[in-house]
Amino acid sequence: MDLANTLNLLHSVNLAAIEVGEHFYWEIGKYKIHGQVFLVSWFVIGVLLVASIAATRNIQRIPTGFQNFMEYVLDFLRGLAKDQIGEKEYRPWVPFIGTLFLFIFVSNWSGALIPWKLIEIPEGELSAPTVDINTTVAFALLTSLAYFYAGISKKGLGYFADYAQPSPIMVPFRAIEDFTRPLSLSFRLFGNILADELAVGVLVLLVPLIVPLPLMILGLFTSAIQALIFATLAASYIGEAMESHGEEHHD
Amino acid sequence: MMTQWILLAEQTSEGGLFDLDATLPLMAIQFLLLATILNILFYKPLGKAIDDRASYVQGQIAQAKKQKEEALALAQRYEQELKEVRKQSQGIISTAQSEAQKIVSDQIQQAQQEVIAERQKASEEIEAERVEALSALEQEVTALSRQILEKVIGLEFAQ
Repeated sequence: MDLANTLNLLHSVNLAAIEVGEHFYWEIGKYKIHGQVFLVSWFVIGVLLVASIAATRNIQRIPTGFQNFMEYVLDFLRGLAKDQIGEKEYRPWVPFIGTLFLFIFVSNWSGALIPWKLIEIPEGELSAPTVDINTTVAFALLTSLAYFYAGISKKGLGYFADYAQPSPIMVPFRAIEDFTRPLSLSFRLFGNILADELAVGVLVLLVPLIVPLPLMILGLFTSAIQALIFATLAASYIGEAMESHGEEHHD
Repeated sequence: MMTQWILLAEQTSEGGLFDLDATLPLMAIQFLLLATILNILFYKPLGKAIDDRASYVQGQIAQAKKQKEEALALAQRYEQELKEVRKQSQGIISTAQSEAQKIVSDQIQQAQQEVIAERQKASEEIEAERVEALSALEQEVTALSRQILEKVIGLEFAQ
């Protein structure tokens, strides 16, 4: 009972309380949206825009400073897209995949590094946008649309004929895959980031100092990995949708 | 306590962990807008910078390769020319040497001939003078002998 009392005491001090599933609702017409998600996502977008402008304000042939860093980032994103989609087709997809990675990465790290919870809002609490399932489902559905678009724009309706490759038995599996892909994409990201924030939150609640640090560092690692996984999977789905079975052996 | 909270969160009339609402489409639209803006602000200009640099470096390498090839060809040509010129100069030197040799031998020969000629002339002169001297001597001898005769046997007999 002592322990419970201490916990209650901590809770009443409100040094670090955990709030799950409470949202800061805004109403637009008759629709409700989660305000805390948009507030932090605007911060993330702001960070990305400022970084982009700072890097491209004065482009030089011999890059220095921040331009150098952002070129490294762009090279990384291009490499990610190129590895999954292939040298020929990857260029138009760099903005989509790159933005997926950058947005998720900056969201996750901002959630892990910035103590959003200290900023009081009327309801719920600020945290990484990727902790909200709306965000991850939105990205997963966009990824689905993207790879359908990629496949259909490349092969027309013949894209669906490829479901029967190499044998018609594959058709139901491929059809189910179209549903499980966005599901697994969104829940993987959502679950990992939420679990990380919850674990750190619980540890901070129990022992506010030092002890949560290793878990926070692990959280940084997980966050980066999750962004990479999401972007890589999106790129690989797009690449798979565009790859042509007939010409495979000619490449 | 955690479970209580989560249960609580699930029980609330609105909200909860899996609360899908208008956030989803708005977030998707916002994301697409962000991708478009980043494409204009970030991917295109920086990508162009990277590609331009790559092609610039490629061009520089190709140019340098061409220049190296040209330089090598030029060096080869110069070496060829140098060889030819060396050969020519060798020829010139040898002809000059042979000419000089010829001149030297000619002149030596000439000099020798001159010497021989002079010597001959001198010996001829000597001969002439000797003949002259001998004839002069003979006359003198004649004169003297006449005088001696005159003195010895008298003028009348002498004539």
